[in-house]
Amino acid sequence: MLDEPYRWLEAVNNRRDYIEDQLRGGSPVVGLKYDDGLLLVTIGRGQRKIFEVHDRIALSAIGHSADIERLRMMATDTASVQGFQSSVDDLTLHRLTNFVLGPTIKQSFEAIFGSAYIIKMLLVELGVRGAAEGFISLNYDGTVQANQHREVIGGTHEAETAMQNYLSAADTSEFSLTSALQFALETWVVGWELGVQQAEDDSEENANERSESTMDKERLHEVLRDELKAGEIEGAVLEASRRSNSKFRLLTSDEINAAISDWL
Amino acid sequence: MTNYKGDFLDLLKAHDCQIQLDLPVTPTSGASSPLQETEGTTVLAVRYKDGILIGGDRRATAGNVVMYDRAEKLLQIDEYSVLAIAGSPAMAYEMARVLEHSFQYFRRSQLQELSIEGKLRMLSRLIRDNLPMTLQGIGGVIPIFAIYDLLTEDENGGKIFFYDALGAHFESADFATSGSGSVWIRGVLFYQNRWGDTPLADMDEQEATVTVLRLLDAAAEYDSATSGYNPKSNIYPTVKTITKDGIQDLSAERLREIYAESVETTHAR
Repeated sequence: MLDEPYRWLEAVNNRRDYIEDQLRGGSPVVGLKYDDGLLLVTIGRGQRKIFEVHDRIALSAIGHSADIERLRMMATDTASVQGFQSSVDDLTLHRLTNFVLGPTIKQSFEAIFGSAYIIKMLLVELGVRGAAEGFISLNYDGTVQANQHREVIGGTHEAETAMQNYLSAADTSEFSLTSALQFALETWVVGWELGVQQAEDDSEENANERSESTMDKERLHEVLRDELKAGEIEGAVLEASRRSNSKFRLLTSDEINAAISDWL
Repeated sequence: MTNYKGDFLDLLKAHDCQIQLDLPVTPTSGASSPLQETEGTTVLAVRYKDGILIGGDRRATAGNVVMYDRAEKLLQIDEYSVLAIAGSPAMAYEMARVLEHSFQYFRRSQLQELSIEGKLRMLSRLIRDNLPMTLQGIGGVIPIFAIYDLLTEDENGGKIFFYDALGAHFESADFATSGSGSVWIRGVLFYQNRWGDTPLADMDEQEATVTVLRLLDAAAEYDSATSGYNPKSNIYPTVKTITKDGIQDLSAERLREIYAESVETTHAR
């Protein structure tokens, strides 16, 4: 029975396999700094994946759309009430992920008679007046990982590692929006392509070869061109120079076209 | 509990968070208090060539005491709307804060901007919820709400709305005024708009600013609860524009120039 420790662990591991299987085909999300704030980019197929949570906080996720919606609303509700009751300055991403979202996801993950959230989240916070700034990713088991400069979520751990490696080649904090968007899209292709290869051939030996292989820029742009036949680039920024209190805005089609026009 | 309507007041209630605007009526002794006139302010909005120009004095009073001479009465609610407040500052600032958070919450939760009609109804609801305080004569707020409608087919999307104490809203075609000083300038605006050299709708930003600053000066002349330009502390009224490009504050430098050129020059000897 499940009240035996071994059975419980086995059930949790089965659940882990099941959720990883469900997430495998997810379109990655790339987050990085640029010279006027923080950028989130993905390529989607109709379903919106990047959301405004509060003045300086944005959220993106891969997974089941109903789970994304539930946790997005939880984050938005919590942030809205806290931001109103106290001050927007008292609202931090750390509190939101570590006190609210993380424990909720973990609880549902380990409650093996209930349904688990099929989700990976990437949240981002723009710091003003010396406040903390950066990215926090949340895994489907509730674990939290913070990074000041860049973060990714993807369908598999391998894809995430490959994207992290690609991103770490440059310090993007001085990049213009267009350059940052181009770099983020190339990173997306690295993660996506690896995910596709994995789905086709999931043997252990090939996994090592895949992670070592690198794609040249031409190949990256070619894959991107193919993906854009069915998919659409979705991007949003938390823009430090934005006059409004709310620093979030979706990228315009002009901004997106400026980044990819040379590749099409 | 998930809030699927995007209603911020429902969300606050679900989290046991009470706002000042729905405080219960406190029993008062003697005869019931009459509905009092809004005190201590002059705010006005005019529809000019590019949108709405809105101005307000800076004085906050309690009876005959000047409490504060740097009050900000033009409160930006979102990128295209401004609430000009007249009345009890505690309630007015709370109203503006709730309004701002409500619009944002709707956009964030429902993934679409609240319509102008929805925004107007929200403000109506807040004014209506504040009725007990208004009836007690201590917390009344009669604001002007100015907004730029980006979806309109008109060349000028600027819209001005004013309210009564029960929360009914009315759209004004050309201008609106509120506060104790407004009685002195409402007629002047009507005169200017009808028989002046340039109707308000044809004025450029400079002309509209001159008109608004002159009228605030006129209100300050007759209403002790309204301040004009304060030369000792170098305090000017606040003026904002709302156009298709968003909201702009007129800088103190710009106001100083306009004041020197067009407001301080008079026929008086």
